[in-house]
Amino acid sequence: MSAVASHADVLHHDDHGHHKETFISKYVFSMDHKMISKQFLITGIIMGTIGMLMSLVFRLQLAYPNTTFPIFETLLGEWGKGGKLDPNFYLALITIHGTIMVFFVLTAGLSGTFSNLLIPLQVGARDMASPFLNMLSYWFFFTSSCVMIASLFVQGGPASAGWTIYPPLSALPKAIPGSGTGMTLWLVSMILFIVSSLLGGINYVATVLNMRTKGMKMTRLPLTIWAFTFTAILGILSFPVLFGGSLLLVFDRSFGTSFYLNEIPADLAGGIERVGGSPILFQHLFWFLGHPEVYIILLPALGITSEVIATNSRKPIFGYRAMIGSIMAIALLSFVVWGHHMFITGMNPFLGSVFMLGTLIIAVPSAIKTFNYLGTLWKGNLRLNPQMMFAIGLVSFFISGGLTGIFLGNAALDINLHDTYFVVAHFHLVMGSAAIFGMLCGIYHWYPKMFGRTMNESLGQIHFWMTIVSAYCVFFPMHFMGLAGVPRRYYAFTAYDQFNVFVDMNIFITYAAFLGGIAQFIFLFNFFYSMRKGKKAVQNPWESNTLEWTTPVKHLHGNWPGEIPHVYRWPYDYSVPGHEIDFIPQNTPHEGQEDPLTEPQTIPTPERKVAPTLAKEEAVLFTLVKRWLGFA
Amino acid sequence: MIILHHILSLKLKILPMKYLKIKTSFVFVLAMLLLTSLSVFAQDMNEDAVAAAKSTASNINWLIVGIAFLLVFIIGMIFDILSKVGDVQKKPVINWGKINGILSIVFIVVGLAACAWEFVVHGKLTFFNLPAASAHANEYDDMFMITLWLTGVVFVVTQILLFWYTYKYREAKGRKALFYPDNHTFEIWATIIPGIVLTVLVVRGLFVWSDMTSSRDKNAMNIEVFGYQFAWNARYAGADNKLGKYDFRQMGVVNALGVDSLKENAGDDIITSELHVPVNQPIYLHFRAKDVIHSAYLPHFRVQMNVVPGLPTNFHFTPILTTNEMRAKQDDPKFDYILLCNKICGSAHYRMKMKVIVDSKEEFEKWLKTNPALTAKGTETNNSFSFFSKTSPLAFN
Ligand code: HEM
Ligand SMILES: [Cu+2]
Ligand SMILES: [Cu+2]
Repeated sequence: MSAVASHADVLHHDDHGHHKETFISKYVFSMDHKMISKQFLITGIIMGTIGMLMSLVFRLQLAYPNTTFPIFETLLGEWGKGGKLDPNFYLALITIHGTIMVFFVLTAGLSGTFSNLLIPLQVGARDMASPFLNMLSYWFFFTSSCVMIASLFVQGGPASAGWTIYPPLSALPKAIPGSGTGMTLWLVSMILFIVSSLLGGINYVATVLNMRTKGMKMTRLPLTIWAFTFTAILGILSFPVLFGGSLLLVFDRSFGTSFYLNEIPADLAGGIERVGGSPILFQHLFWFLGHPEVYIILLPALGITSEVIATNSRKPIFGYRAMIGSIMAIALLSFVVWGHHMFITGMNPFLGSVFMLGTLIIAVPSAIKTFNYLGTLWKGNLRLNPQMMFAIGLVSFFISGGLTGIFLGNAALDINLHDTYFVVAHFHLVMGSAAIFGMLCGIYHWYPKMFGRTMNESLGQIHFWMTIVSAYCVFFPMHFMGLAGVPRRYYAFTAYDQFNVFVDMNIFITYAAFLGGIAQFIFLFNFFYSMRKGKKAVQNPWESNTLEWTTPVKHLHGNWPGEIPHVYRWPYDYSVPGHEIDFIPQNTPHEGQEDPLTEPQTIPTPERKVAPTLAKEEAVLFTLVKRWLGFA
Repeated sequence: MIILHHILSLKLKILPMKYLKIKTSFVFVLAMLLLTSLSVFAQDMNEDAVAAAKSTASNINWLIVGIAFLLVFIIGMIFDILSKVGDVQKKPVINWGKINGILSIVFIVVGLAACAWEFVVHGKLTFFNLPAASAHANEYDDMFMITLWLTGVVFVVTQILLFWYTYKYREAKGRKALFYPDNHTFEIWATIIPGIVLTVLVVRGLFVWSDMTSSRDKNAMNIEVFGYQFAWNARYAGADNKLGKYDFRQMGVVNALGVDSLKENAGDDIITSELHVPVNQPIYLHFRAKDVIHSAYLPHFRVQMNVVPGLPTNFHFTPILTTNEMRAKQDDPKFDYILLCNKICGSAHYRMKMKVIVDSKEEFEKWLKTNPALTAKGTETNNSFSFFSKTSPLAFN
């Protein structure tokens, strides 16, 4: 820890005086990126808990469609009359559950927390490019969350057209009660959310491009930063399209226009006959955001795991450049595949072929990422702490869910799989579970940075095992329901005799979901308990190379008490041969290195370092397999 | 409240653990227990005969949840004590590295076994286990199986490697990780091999896709499927095999579908609420919705198409097994094909379905004649006509 600990904790105390922080400016309208990141995290966790509790309520309904739960009436009032969930409210619940999970937890909660915390700290900046916009970004998000929660309590209930809010269902209040005030609030909330996300995104990109410390070349950025940057770019390019799309929907709903409506008789549409629009147009606009959105969710999680896996394997990330390349490829390709959500909308089959091609090409960079994770673990010295376990869990889910994507991306196969439980299983594994695992992984890893204490390890390990087991038990069996033709967004499966065979499975899934719920409460307990009572953290608890661990444990405005450290090397110098300690922080110069930008020629740069390649005589398959399994 | 205090003080005496010392956290735990055991409050709807049995059942549920909770809690505390002991001894008592390594192996072994079990037990319930009911279903199922095998192999291999590495390379004192930042040969192959596999899948997929979407038989029978909140209708084109024009303003005025019987080609149209189709006859389904988007999903035939208001969509397929044949093969006399709604459309979405019956040609003719056409004249023309007479446009050879 030699170089890292160069600034003692006490140093910055004198520093503190001139800020004159009041409670409000420190904790509420804070412009400090670290505080904003905590605000995003806490709001995200609260929203996540709400979303999870909703899923437990509708899981109960799916498992016991013929049973009454008086508690529903107590909790939900008219929506649970006589202890039975109202079908419309079931749809409202899944809609809000999906919206909350996708946007509020895994977009704002994940990017907002970790981009905010890590971008300035890891590139070596005192704060974001614009701390003020950053603060606005949080408060737009906060307002948006409040509006979304408020929509639960309005007449007619919250939006109930699915998180994809396809018109005409979402446009015609007559079609479903949730398309009244609830849908208006959903749209308002979404518009606020998009503003928040854009303010954040612009800031992230500007900070990464302009505010790197001396020596922090783009090729020395940790993979977290690469992932966050491309996430932000994706958001900046795609969210405005949803913004436009939502505005047009507002017009259709409130001002009698027909952007998305055709051949709707007047009595269904508020007395104005609607002709000339196209419902499919909305789907194009929605999925132009919607598909990049799944990568907006996934990329930060992958970035976080790359960092955590490298640190805890005590090994450089395998194929750093290939990792960057695949992030770029995924980001680029994600703009040309949105149509795979619309294969059976009646779109021209030729267009379907194009989208199918794009979709399956995306599998290549995803495969590269998986192999590189495995390559990093191979012959490592793995510290299996909770964050490492969550990272490994993410890889597992990424594989499982990614592979089912190959079925769904195939236009022909999608004909029979579209909108079935196969899809629910697919996206919960690859987007839901994987990204949640990435987020939890990040929380365990950077908790010491955020709160100055570490979370309880044993509770973390229990949390991990319960969560991974329950997630697989919940979502894996759903594939089979999908393959038997069970559609998603069904309030009950009782209307179809042939779905009766799944009664037991549904009960099992609900039990597993409750197990997962309990596990999350363990996490919540650990999270809030450790804030006050956790073990005090040291400056660099995980012996990591990146710059955030060179800042003092106690937060201060401007991050570093003295000068910002310079960067002399890439972030993955772990277990470098010839070094006693198995990590070398980025701010440690090479022997004899004076200019941060040029690494001395005598010492080979990591990229050029000749890796032990597979010797010729070993190229026999058997030997290879032995090697990969670690026996050779 | 008094009871709560009582329990609280009691607990404090029995379990002087650090978690329980804090009142708030105890209340928290209590709240969790409440939340996680909603099934406590479960009651069966028909409270007659089974009431007694059910009440014990829900007691057991309650117990399971409670016990599970306590178990987790106790395990948590044990680990905590052990880690405290470890802190005192300056040497960790529980070695999570080792435990996790072993659990990883258990997880992957049990997990893969469970996967296999799922395939055996629940795989049977999927459509890929039924005889194909339409002409293109075999091609579809082959495509599915190829994808399943390829992805299945990747799944098993990568998951095994992942958890095996977790076990094998867990931290050991004195071992140093291998500094191995890159290997270009490996990277190149890691790109090329998935590339090749995916090319195979894409090319084959494109063929299947274009077979399914572009083949059109000129002699196909035109049938309209009309969806509205929350039911389906079918409209047969009658003797001319041409569907009459509709007017969306007339929906629910002249008839539910808005088809004016006096318009061209409309008189002989037949509206039904079941979808009967003759076996081995190419069918051209035309979809139309009244209010919101629905999706017509006929899983046994591998047919699905969205049903969109104001946007005509269609699907072409040929049923090859009659309902009776399927019942015999399935050994299930109650089996029926269905068309179900597969796009969220409102409160009764979950039961918006239509029975589909594949008849032999004769049965089909007979059934169709029992349904009146829109005009009496149309019925007459239909009656004097057989779909399968040699002269009809739908002739079979
Ligand atoms: C606590 C664990 C979770 C459980 C038990 C759960 C369960 C479910 C179920 C059963 C459905 C389908 C309901 C239906 O189609 O009728 C659903 C929908 C959905 N879930 Fe989850 N889920 C969980 C966590 C998540 C997470 C972490 C995400 C984040 C991506 C997520 C995103 C969604 C989305 C987007 C939908 C679709 C909503 C719609 O159809 O409009 N869920 N969830
Ligand atoms: Cu997509
Ligand atoms: Cu529907």
